Amino acid sequence: MSGVTPSVATESERHPVDAALAARLAAIVGDRRVLFRPGELLAYSSDGLPGYLKQPSIAVFPGTRDEVIAVVRELARAGAPFVPRGAGTGLSGGALADGVVLLGLNRLSRILSIDAENAIAVVEPGVVNVALSRAVSAHGLHYAPDPSSQAACTIGGNVAENAGGPHCLKYGVTLNHVVALTVALPNGEVVTLGNAAGENDGYDLVGAFVGSEGCFGVALDVTVRLARNPQAVRTLLADFHSIDAGARAVSAIIASGLLPAALEMMDAGTIRAVEASIYAAGYPTDAAAVLLVELDGPIAGLDADVATVVRHCRDAGARDVRVARDEAERTKLWQGRKKAFGAMGRISSHLVVQDAVVPRTKLPQMLARVHDIAERYRVTVCNVFHAGDGNLHPNIGYDANDPDESARVHAAMREIMQACVDAGGTITGEHGVGIDKLPYMGAIFSEESLSAMCALREVFDPDRRANPGKVVPMHSCREWQMAPAARTGQH
Amino acid sequence: MRSGIDACVHCGFCLQSCPTYLTLEDENDSPRGRVLLMRSALEGTLAIDDPSLETHIDRCLGCRACETACPSGVPYGHLLEATRATMAEHRRLPFVARLILWTFARPASLTIAMALSRLLRATRIPVLLSRLKGRLGFAMAMLASTERSGMHGAYVARGDATRGTVAVLLGCVMEGLLGGANRATERTLVVNGYSLVDAPGQRCCGALHAHAGDLRGARELARANIVAFEGADSQFICVNAAGCGAMMKEYAHLLADEPEFAERAARVSARVRDVSELLVAAGPVAGATPVDATVTYDAPCHLLHAQRIADPPIAVLRAIPGLRLVPLAGAEHCCGAAGIYNLVEPDTSNAVLAPKLENIRATGAELVATGNPGCLMQIGAGLRRASIESRAVHPVELLDASYRSTARGAR
Ligand SMILES: Cc1cc2nc3c(=O)[nH]c(=O)nc-3n(C[C@H](O)[C@H](O)[C@H](O)COP(=O)(O)OP(=O)(O)OC[C@H]3O[C@@H](n4cnc5c(N)ncnc54)[C@H](O)[C@@H]3O)c2cc1C
Ligand code: SF4
Ligand code: SF4
Repeated sequence: MSGVTPSVATESERHPVDAALAARLAAIVGDRRVLFRPGELLAYSSDGLPGYLKQPSIAVFPGTRDEVIAVVRELARAGAPFVPRGAGTGLSGGALADGVVLLGLNRLSRILSIDAENAIAVVEPGVVNVALSRAVSAHGLHYAPDPSSQAACTIGGNVAENAGGPHCLKYGVTLNHVVALTVALPNGEVVTLGNAAGENDGYDLVGAFVGSEGCFGVALDVTVRLARNPQAVRTLLADFHSIDAGARAVSAIIASGLLPAALEMMDAGTIRAVEASIYAAGYPTDAAAVLLVELDGPIAGLDADVATVVRHCRDAGARDVRVARDEAERTKLWQGRKKAFGAMGRISSHLVVQDAVVPRTKLPQMLARVHDIAERYRVTVCNVFHAGDGNLHPNIGYDANDPDESARVHAAMREIMQACVDAGGTITGEHGVGIDKLPYMGAIFSEESLSAMCALREVFDPDRRANPGKVVPMHSCREWQMAPAARTGQH
Repeated sequence: MRSGIDACVHCGFCLQSCPTYLTLEDENDSPRGRVLLMRSALEGTLAIDDPSLETHIDRCLGCRACETACPSGVPYGHLLEATRATMAEHRRLPFVARLILWTFARPASLTIAMALSRLLRATRIPVLLSRLKGRLGFAMAMLASTERSGMHGAYVARGDATRGTVAVLLGCVMEGLLGGANRATERTLVVNGYSLVDAPGQRCCGALHAHAGDLRGARELARANIVAFEGADSQFICVNAAGCGAMMKEYAHLLADEPEFAERAARVSARVRDVSELLVAAGPVAGATPVDATVTYDAPCHLLHAQRIADPPIAVLRAIPGLRLVPLAGAEHCCGAAGIYNLVEPDTSNAVLAPKLENIRATGAELVATGNPGCLMQIGAGLRRASIESRAVHPVELLDASYRSTARGAR
């Protein structure tokens, strides 16, 4: 690639401020790591959520922690808003940079230390989730939060979204596994939140940062707690004639007092998409729903638990319940579940996916509601979700070039979300608000609560330059008029 | 093309499987990024000669590891081929590429080129020059790595001829520089119960042409091969070069729009098997002579990702007594050979090769088995230049060695 200066000259006609900034950023990270040609910004114009396309002005990719800090300071000096980005697998548009600087953290991918004895690791933000589990597996450890996207997403992105995953039912979400963070605040100051011992002294600032969706600064390193591998694991696949029967089995298992490591449900549309893909797992394609249940722990008593789950599934009307015979079969069953969202791409060219949470007891009614709504709007909903948490991911595939279908899909989604809220649920379990869920914020939070969120953000990012325009609708921030810097990020 | 591109849901599962993304750390050099570039070119929002498109599409290895990672079934290989063909209408390929494609498309020039290469190899000059920095040194190391002194001792192979007839695709580089592997293929097939049939008139498979965007050249070669293998009328067509096998299995796709050839191509494609598939279908017959060596297996991309053949080559190696098979970390990642990629994109090719060599070094294996001429030469050259005490061989060469003294394997 040629040097930055000559090409910036042509670019400068479009964004007069950017040329000088791009050159200064290139001085920190090298010419190759600053992108500004429209063709090269394309790859960074969307994240895991299809349907949005927002082009950054500049994309910059530091390779070391010091470079990140220098870049953040340079951006602070220039008063430039910016958006951190990990692997871009987010499903709420959180990593989209609309005409502002995109700060990629994917190159910071080193595991800095592993303390097997204390089950603690320190990682850079760009470490891919599954790479950490793989690196510590020799010590009989793993990193418990396992989003389905774990083969691609980064720990930094997980921290920012407080990511969950199938096994978070028993082991807790990202927040429960992060003990300390080093953060570059948007003004360039570097601070440490929490401590490796996981002791709380004073306010829980780690808790404030985890889930802040890139609005509070950039995570430079993350100290996480590792989990010991359980002595034994049993994975079951139960299949049902109706979604309702599956949902009743979920309620019964939870009511029995058992705490499965994971309890996941997929409906017929999802099953067929997975079975048509390279990750075909052997799910029965004629089932209306399957439940994937995992039990783990000390070997003593585990088989009794398996028997309990089998009984509840059968009582609810399961046609068949099978237990994975070995690790290979177990992996296959899980791969199918984890690649389910990706497999939906086979069904149609465009997808919307939601992330609603409802009280678990209301699951059967909620699924029936979703079904009714889908029928009324003549759209096909595929459900794949963390049943144990009541975290629904309804996916609707459609053709965006068909305006009538698009309108019906979006209306159906809005109604589904409203139904979840009415049932006492909420609009995001784990994917975050980003820009996609922004319109729903007013439905679940009062103006006071939203304003309180703005006030918290003020502490970390008074200029509101970090990930501008995400999470909290701007009009909710009373001080909005006073922070002109953020407005340059809003087109 | 449209529906293939639309299948991409941006999930990012392909990122960590892509060797160019892992080495260059830029999403423009990832499958997801490249699909976006292709989409924009198709929709006309990006000019077909836009430097961003050219740079990042040129840098793709075509290894198709993204396809075996993609839950949505994006047909990346086909998309790439179509994009490169469109790009080729608007610009000339680099000189080296044009020269190689020209040579491989013509039997006479190919014969001369291979004969000259063998002569050069016999002078031992390549060994001397193989340490030179840059492309020349690497090319010499590749040539030197094809040397097989003392490895093959011919024997008369005998079998019960119960498994059907096979015509072998001899290939260009395979026959020209690695002829020993072709003879080993023939002998092991016979030992395993197949009977051999000639397929005169066969040519280069056309893979290099198709991958570079020269679809016209590729189709011409494909038609010639269809005629030749129809003539052979064997039950199976055996290919021991993963890249050529993948190409021949796709003749049906390549010629789908040619009424005269579409169906004939499909019938020929359906007969194509990798040598390891044929051997495993027959057992394979276990060898009798121990091969006392530590061996690791590296999967050629066009076997693992394009043909989706994972276990058969390993089963072939397991049939060899005495051989100690050790796993290779990252065996599923490309070595950077990728047809003529190592000659036209040497920097990226070397960057992709580096972790492969380190992983091989870590196994301590004396031999690396891999079933594709490009990979044999790329890895062979890399090992030589990095002074790693290990050599690259075709798995079939090892099986053949274990059949040697008995002239027939023991059941
Ligand atoms: C197929 C698929 C399945 C998924 N399954 C799950 C699931 O089971 N559970 C779940 O919770 N999520 C899931 N997701 C969503 C997504 O993978 C998670 O939100 C993940 O945490 C995002 O990580 P990332 O590295 O891709 O971050 P990005 O998408 O790049 O960014 C996400 C947010 O994090 C911010 N950010 C990134 N890095 C940093 C940093 N170092 N410092 C500060 N802010 C940062 C960004 O600004 C952005 O707001 C899934 C996504 C896909 C495509
Ligand atoms: S894995 Fe497939 S669907 Fe997902 S981003 Fe890559 S090419 Fe697209
Ligand atoms: S073919 Fe190989 S190099 Fe090209 S995008 Fe796919 S994985 Fe990457």
